[in-house]
Amino acid sequence: MARRELGASFDWSSIASLRIRSRLVAEGAYAGAHRSARRGSGIEFGGHRQYIPGDDLRWLDRRALLRHGRLLVRQFETETDRALRLVVDASASMGYRGSRAKTTKLAYAALACAALARIAIASGDPVGLSYFGGDRSRPVAVTGGREGFDRIIGSLEDARPAGDAVRDPELLDRALGTLARAARRGSVIVVASDLLDLPAEAAERLAAIAARGRSVIVLQVLDPDEVDLPFDGTVRLRSLEGDVVVETDTAATRSRYLLALEQLQDLYRETLLARGGRLVCASTADDPVAIVRSVVTAVR
Amino acid sequence: MSFVTALALGIVIFVAAPLLAHRLRRLRADERPFAAARLVPAAQPRARRRAKLEDRALFGVRALAIIALALLGASPLLRCSRLSLARSSGASIAVALVIDDSMSMRARAEGASSRLARAKEAAAELLAGTRDGDAIAIVLAGAPPRVALAPTTDIGAAAALVAAVPPSDRGTDLDGALRIAETLLGSLPQVDKRIVVLSDLADGQPDAPPLGETLHLPVWTPLGDIAKDAPDCAVITADDVGGRVRVHLACGKDASAAGRRVEVRLGGRVLGSALATAAPDVDIDLTAKDSADGERTAHLLGSDAIDTDDSAPVLVAGAGAIGVVAEAADETAVTGGPPVVEQALTALRTGLAVRPLPAVPDQSSDFAGLLGIVVDDPPGFTPEQRRAVGAYLDGGGVMLLALGARAASAPLGATLEPILSHPAAWVAATVKGVAANVPTDFLGEATRSLVDIGAARRTALTPEDVAQLEDLVPWSDGAPLIARKAPRNAGELYLTTLPFSLDASDFALRPAFVALLDAFVTTTRAHAAPRRTAVGATWLLPASATRVDGPSALGTPVPIDLVREGGRTKLVPPLIGAYHVHHGPDRDDLRVAMPVASEVDLRPRRIAKGADTSRLGATEAQVDVSSYVAVVLLALLLAEIVLRVRARATIARA
Repeated sequence: MARRELGASFDWSSIASLRIRSRLVAEGAYAGAHRSARRGSGIEFGGHRQYIPGDDLRWLDRRALLRHGRLLVRQFETETDRALRLVVDASASMGYRGSRAKTTKLAYAALACAALARIAIASGDPVGLSYFGGDRSRPVAVTGGREGFDRIIGSLEDARPAGDAVRDPELLDRALGTLARAARRGSVIVVASDLLDLPAEAAERLAAIAARGRSVIVLQVLDPDEVDLPFDGTVRLRSLEGDVVVETDTAATRSRYLLALEQLQDLYRETLLARGGRLVCASTADDPVAIVRSVVTAVR
Repeated sequence: MSFVTALALGIVIFVAAPLLAHRLRRLRADERPFAAARLVPAAQPRARRRAKLEDRALFGVRALAIIALALLGASPLLRCSRLSLARSSGASIAVALVIDDSMSMRARAEGASSRLARAKEAAAELLAGTRDGDAIAIVLAGAPPRVALAPTTDIGAAAALVAAVPPSDRGTDLDGALRIAETLLGSLPQVDKRIVVLSDLADGQPDAPPLGETLHLPVWTPLGDIAKDAPDCAVITADDVGGRVRVHLACGKDASAAGRRVEVRLGGRVLGSALATAAPDVDIDLTAKDSADGERTAHLLGSDAIDTDDSAPVLVAGAGAIGVVAEAADETAVTGGPPVVEQALTALRTGLAVRPLPAVPDQSSDFAGLLGIVVDDPPGFTPEQRRAVGAYLDGGGVMLLALGARAASAPLGATLEPILSHPAAWVAATVKGVAANVPTDFLGEATRSLVDIGAARRTALTPEDVAQLEDLVPWSDGAPLIARKAPRNAGELYLTTLPFSLDASDFALRPAFVALLDAFVTTTRAHAAPRRTAVGATWLLPASATRVDGPSALGTPVPIDLVREGGRTKLVPPLIGAYHVHHGPDRDDLRVAMPVASEVDLRPRRIAKGADTSRLGATEAQVDVSSYVAVVLLALLLAEIVLRVRARATIARA
């Protein structure tokens, strides 16, 4: 994927007004333009809540006690920066491109992630990038500004699909482990993957990152062939990871395939939802603007 | 790279082509990468399902075609386990098949078949491997050995004869059979000649010189698998001795009948029984509880290698004897026992009673019961004796007459008629013994013991009488020492010109004397047809015998073919058991053929070095199956066409 391709296929202006908003209040050293969902020691009043033992008595509202006869503490919204951490699946399966697709799944994911990075940087939020799998896939530390955006674009351009998440189950763990330790409270984590060759416990691992006030959005990128299994007659299908070979009559098994795919998506969707995360499904044939907007909306 | 290797490679390519085509047909499905392959359930393609049966049938046909093609390609190298004759130069060969049809061949070989069946099977395999121009002779080695088929190039006739060789209970005479086989092949034009012995080599002489050692032709004994020792016991005789049955058993060297029960039966009823002892050769007394008329048989219970020899008919002992007329008092060396000739006959264990007589009977009725008579130096015959002796010899009797001093000095009125027409003379012996090159046809090697016989005097016969005699063993000057009188009707007479007395000569101390008595007893058995002989011995039956029913495996008497020769009726019993000789509608005799005791010893005889060599033949024969394979290939091709047409029709309907 070239920078030229990014510019040609993406309408930056259509998403430039979108701002990533998090429902959670970010906790960090930056004081950005985001409204933090976290109540804390801010300036703008954010409401009352029931006092519970251990609360800072400085925020006990004596007037409310006199008025309502109950112990209430005052809450404030905190303005903070909200780092965007992009995790891109660059394993071998992401290199698939069907006959109806304009690009590979990895290129599409890179395009979406670049757009998200641009939005975040334009909003003053820092952006970091990491991968699981891939060849020449250089992670980019959380940085802001144009320089940071350029580094992200450069890394995404260089990444090539490689690696087998089936044979190397720790591929995902290594990426997510680093992220879990480094991502600060209030960070927005976007994972772009096809979710096809990840271990069975991958959904739980991804959802677990949503702890400590972080938002997790999983962007599933599929090829149009993977969406509807369009092949005719008897085919022998070889997976790109795990070396699985299946001989099948697509006419007879298409419905069962679609059902299996739907069950997989439901699994990720429900697991993420339970932890406050979101699943966004995309096809490489879809308009990337709409997909990026869906991700931003999901963050909000 | 040898021609065979190149041929094999060619066959491999030829065979691999249809297999490759079949595999290519099966791999029509395209393989393509697909990241979500693990979510796609596997499913048998519809077309594959439809064509499954056709594919399997086609694959089966092609697989068979491959095998057939491989077989066709390998047919020059194809061998199977069967006997074949080696050909050193490719020329025609002359083969004498010596098939052992003795009783030991009834023993079971590996599997259910008998050794004889294995030998016949081997003979059939050898005959199947013969070519045009090969000469085949077949000799049967059951005693007496006989030519079953003179040398012929008619392989079909040989095969038919081999298939028809019946099992018998004869003894084994492999040496005789080999000599006959060598004689048969001797005059044939083929350069490559050999004798194939299809036998278990169990001739009762395991320690004899190796078989075929003295022959000039190579001998091949390919059936090593049946030449194995096996335990066997047989009932040799069963005699009723005064209401008690005496059963005589014989066993092989390592076999024993100890612990096995012996029963005497009448029909299906057991008359008595007893346990055999540990001795391999033992007599067992049984008490028969019922002496009712009927054919009683003695049975040895239990099983061993040969089943047919475990029973024998019971005969009443004492029927038939050899009369001996000798004067023991004449001898100066008085031993106190019977005369030497009587002792010698007893020592021979002929199975016949030896009955001493004071003089030659002068009435025909006195000869009744005498199967043979030995007369040592009689003082002539009185007129009554002459008539009785003449009638005895005319009736088939056998006499051994020794002439000495008393015969030469017969009293007045006594002559040696009807044996000699003129008086004999007791003269001084001018020569000593027989010549060194004396013929040994009659007494065998024992004849040479007479070379230095010590006799001061001998009997001289007139030339007219000598002309009437067949000189069997002559003195060295040509005068007869042992002679045979030309058969007088059914009878037979042996004559010696030395008496048996030790005072006259040491003739009675020579092996030839015992051999002479043995020949006399054998002839007596043949002429008088005693009630029991060894199986395979020749029976000379009276002319009145009209029919003989022999034993059979099913117990039903089987008519036996009789041979009539010169007014005599001959019979060689091939099976052990009871034979009923019919002399008319109301009279029949019971005669018994007993097994040869040596046949229960199944230890194989040694074979000459090289008799089992692969130079003479092989146990793996090359088989030409190309014609059969070609037919199979054509059938497979037809089957494939039919399957393809059906498949096309099925597709068209779909």
